[in-house]
Amino acid sequence: MFGYDREALQGELATIIQNNITTDAWAWLSQQGDITNTASFNATFAMMPRKTGKGLIHIAPEQAEQLNTIRPGFTIEGWTADRLGRVYLMLQADAIDQERYFAVIENLFLAAEMNELVALYSALPILAYPELWVKRCAEGIRSNIGSVLEAIMYYNPYPAEYLPEAAWNQLVMKAIFTDKQLDLITGLNERNNPELARILMDFARERGAAGRSVVPELWHLASPFTDAGIVNAVKQQYSTINTIN
Amino acid sequence: MCCSHSFEDKPLPGQKPEAFDISAVKGMKFFDPHVHMTSRTTDDYQAMADAGVVALIEPAFWLGQPRTGIDSFRDYYSSLVGWERFRSSQFGIKHYCTIGLNSREANNEALAEQVMEILPLFVYKDGVVGVGEIGFDDQTAAEEKYYRLQLDLAKEAGLPVQVHTPHRDKKHGTQRSMDIALEHGLDPYTVIIDHNNEETVKEVLDRGFWAAFTIYPFTKMGNQRMVEVVKQYGSERIMINSAADWGISDPLAVPKTAALMKLNGISAEDIELVTYRNAITAFAQSGQIDEADFGVNIDQSAKFEGNSILRGGQQPRVDKSSIIIS
Ligand SMILES: [Zn+2]
Repeated sequence: MFGYDREALQGELATIIQNNITTDAWAWLSQQGDITNTASFNATFAMMPRKTGKGLIHIAPEQAEQLNTIRPGFTIEGWTADRLGRVYLMLQADAIDQERYFAVIENLFLAAEMNELVALYSALPILAYPELWVKRCAEGIRSNIGSVLEAIMYYNPYPAEYLPEAAWNQLVMKAIFTDKQLDLITGLNERNNPELARILMDFARERGAAGRSVVPELWHLASPFTDAGIVNAVKQQYSTINTIN
Repeated sequence: MCCSHSFEDKPLPGQKPEAFDISAVKGMKFFDPHVHMTSRTTDDYQAMADAGVVALIEPAFWLGQPRTGIDSFRDYYSSLVGWERFRSSQFGIKHYCTIGLNSREANNEALAEQVMEILPLFVYKDGVVGVGEIGFDDQTAAEEKYYRLQLDLAKEAGLPVQVHTPHRDKKHGTQRSMDIALEHGLDPYTVIIDHNNEETVKEVLDRGFWAAFTIYPFTKMGNQRMVEVVKQYGSERIMINSAADWGISDPLAVPKTAALMKLNGISAEDIELVTYRNAITAFAQSGQIDEADFGVNIDQSAKFEGNSILRGGQQPRVDKSSIIIS
């Protein structure tokens, strides 16, 4: 159901959260997570910042390492308390009834504001039934909100593990179009593929024609699957219009 | 939006408005507590930011034609806390909203029931500073029913209420709105009565409510009249908004009115109260307003990073006098 040791993650996150929010807030949060009471689950999710605050989480290096051992690639560094609280709430939700679990969480996506979306997409790698969230993840990549895209792209192991190739390639292209930091995308090199290289080279030609530059990582991604002569020829096009990046 | 009047009885704009000179209020900060940005373009955000608007409240209201299903309400509320808030943030303007079922749509009772079910999902969200705008339009029984239900919701959620007063039979509708709010045990200090005029302001203030004024061409307050209201009633519990929407309206109404007040000798302190501070005091009772959030990331290069109002490589500010579009 989970593909990792859920109880171990719950325990580790509980310790971290307790160190980062007030005793009262923890007393409240630790009682939440009954997914059979949808109205209350929804309200808990929405009002999280009022209880936990929005301060940045502090986490010891050993704790970060521990999280990464339990769920490889999963990190909460740089998160705010409300974001972590929301992810923890979803982790608490009983996943036995698959239909209900999916319906309740999907409904949170449908009614979410920006910070809620960030938390929801951050939770993808730890949700039950990982294969159920593929479409949702692909939908998230269509967002036009920078922070939401970053929650999917940066330090998030889910897309590289579960997205089909076409959706993965969209993620990379969207990252380039929205000036994201490509080096923060988990699995960028592992998921590199010939189709992506073709799209990137077409994109480079298009940009060249418009007199615009491209990010240097583009050449790095395209090179393993593209004839060196072609890469050089396109680069050459840039040098003649003097916009090479 | 608030122009629930019909178009037939409305005079068309005749002469051009006087040129607006921002210099009179240069450097001042403004809070527009009622503006329907969903129906405005991104250019308006840019102009508002330039004129000193640092924060605003977008009340949930009517989009001009009735919604026919619950999903369009859900999408609308989601856009108020999502895309619209993001779009606003791209110009350093802090965007809050109030959430509610508007009076016109309360008359479709089957749909109204469904809306009441999803409202709790939205009123607890971050940045929701009130239940609004709710109240009366036609003053029907259905409108009263959902007004009352939403007052209870506001009380339960600990949120202020933003009350839309009707265009027709306004004075009576305003009194009735206040009577009912008190009947439901709301503290008048948590209730903002909107769209006031010279006929309603005294009673609203006397009964301890907040009196909001909408500067909206042709139908509501003009800002010359507004200057006189402030001269007569002072600045306590009075606030000004634009209620700009898809009608002929002006998202710069608040800074423009501030400029006119300045030119008419109203003190800087009073101007600040009615165009900025009072709205914050009233809506901060939600616990959702933090002035430290205003105007953050005002730096242009940081502000536009990763933003997608701009298409690939487009620069944030466009020189409109240039014929070249790059
Ligand atoms: Zn309105």
